[in-house]
Amino acid sequence: MPGSRTESGTTSSNATAEEDAARVANQPIMIHLKHVVFGAIGLPVFLLLAAWIGFFNVGASSGHWKVTAWFLQLAMRSAVRTYALAVDAPKTLDRRGLPAAAGHFARGCAICHGAPGELRSPAVLRMLPQPPDLALTVGDWTDAQLFRIVKHGIRFTGMPAWPARDRDDEVWAMVAFLRELPKLSPNEFRALAINGSDVTSSDRQPATPDVLSDCMRCHGGDGEGRSDTVPALAGQKEAYLLASLQAYAKGDRTSGFMALPVTGIAPDEMAALARYFATLSPASGEQDQIPAEVINGGRQIAEAGIPERNVPACAGCHIGSDKNPIYPRLDGQHAAYLEQQLKLFRSESRGGTPFWRIMATAAQRLTDDDIRAVSAYFSKRAEDAQQLR
Amino acid sequence: MSANAGLLLGCAFWFLAYAGNWVAAGELGHQQAKVVKPPIEPMIPAAPQSSNPTASQDSPGRGLSLFLSNGCGACHTIRGTEARGTIGPDLSHVGSRTAIGAGVLPNTEEAFARFVARPDLFKPGVKMPAFDVLPQTEIQTIARYLKALQ
Repeated sequence: MPGSRTESGTTSSNATAEEDAARVANQPIMIHLKHVVFGAIGLPVFLLLAAWIGFFNVGASSGHWKVTAWFLQLAMRSAVRTYALAVDAPKTLDRRGLPAAAGHFARGCAICHGAPGELRSPAVLRMLPQPPDLALTVGDWTDAQLFRIVKHGIRFTGMPAWPARDRDDEVWAMVAFLRELPKLSPNEFRALAINGSDVTSSDRQPATPDVLSDCMRCHGGDGEGRSDTVPALAGQKEAYLLASLQAYAKGDRTSGFMALPVTGIAPDEMAALARYFATLSPASGEQDQIPAEVINGGRQIAEAGIPERNVPACAGCHIGSDKNPIYPRLDGQHAAYLEQQLKLFRSESRGGTPFWRIMATAAQRLTDDDIRAVSAYFSKRAEDAQQLR
Repeated sequence: MSANAGLLLGCAFWFLAYAGNWVAAGELGHQQAKVVKPPIEPMIPAAPQSSNPTASQDSPGRGLSLFLSNGCGACHTIRGTEARGTIGPDLSHVGSRTAIGAGVLPNTEEAFARFVARPDLFKPGVKMPAFDVLPQTEIQTIARYLKALQ
């Protein structure tokens, strides 16, 4: 009679009752713990075992399970949305980089994402996940989100990160191009991306390698640069051009746009390219209207420096035919390009020839206004172009 | 319970049966991976080129021409030459100073060469950038020129 035993009130039976109560109370916890233990140890072990024996099919032919595809899409879109919150997008996108971005898209992106008027390979269409046709899907994303995707890539999809980490300017140029992409007809796309490279073989010098057409996508058949952010190479010093190509190939100077075409160029081809562009007639200077006081301010910096702020005169290295041939000539160079490079030097994001640190030292003492003025001055300067060659 | 154990056991046997194949396939994959070479051939760093090929090796003006062609004149003045910079010290008579680099180095040709290559090592906070990217022979030539400025 267990009932009478608990009612009897003796100390010994009290203790037993407490033990019983404790056992009853503990029972659900014991079961619960078992689940936790199984979940914490057993499930990972089970999944590991399943992966080890090859249970999970990694073939791309059958696609993801619907639930997996749904989850991956959710995770990807949410992560891009969240991480893009930290991206500081400009109000209006700079369109000056469009030709270079279009050329890069044609060379690096179009094979997976398609381009106006070009069918994608059946192999690309059987990728998992299938790369989106960007002309159709680019509208799903904001500028900041596109920047995030282009710069960092997307894990598990094959979408690579931008080849140069410090070149946000190039990534923004890509975003500006992606905004244009849905509006482009096949002809417009070809004109934007590869117009400069349709040079006939008779125009070429015999020693010029085939890779020259890659250069011309952005730098133009005349070597003057197809947009203001692409440097004019025509008439540039050969030693500087060669050292710059070598710096791109070694990764000492970073650029996503240059990283692709420079890959796989043999050393003797580099020398031939440098020679080719060095012998073209140099740029004649830009025609843009720039206020005279800006130009004069730039001339002051170029010829005398800013002694009170320890800025040496640019002329000390960059003007005159007697200077070290590895120092580039700047006359007639695009102002937008010079500005961008000076800012990259200033933030120590731009390497180049072994002499880059000397330029970085000088650039760190320049304000944005100084950079604008001196870039404008050199873009107009062309008087002693012949002498420099 | 026994069904699960049976499944596991089956899997284990199945695994053992195929393990040999997998290892072979793995090795094959490994060999294929080895065959793939990086597309860029390792670049041999370009030997620093003589920065002024026109000046002959031993001409007396070579030190000055190297000084000017590498941009030193943008910061330093040497009277009687094109070097008229005002940011760094006037070097017109630097060879006759008692010491250089704010007194940390003796006034010798070798000390000039060391200072030009890495001024930051001798003078913390120095405004002058390092010129150790120049070939050593050119630095020596510049140092000899500076030491001779009495």
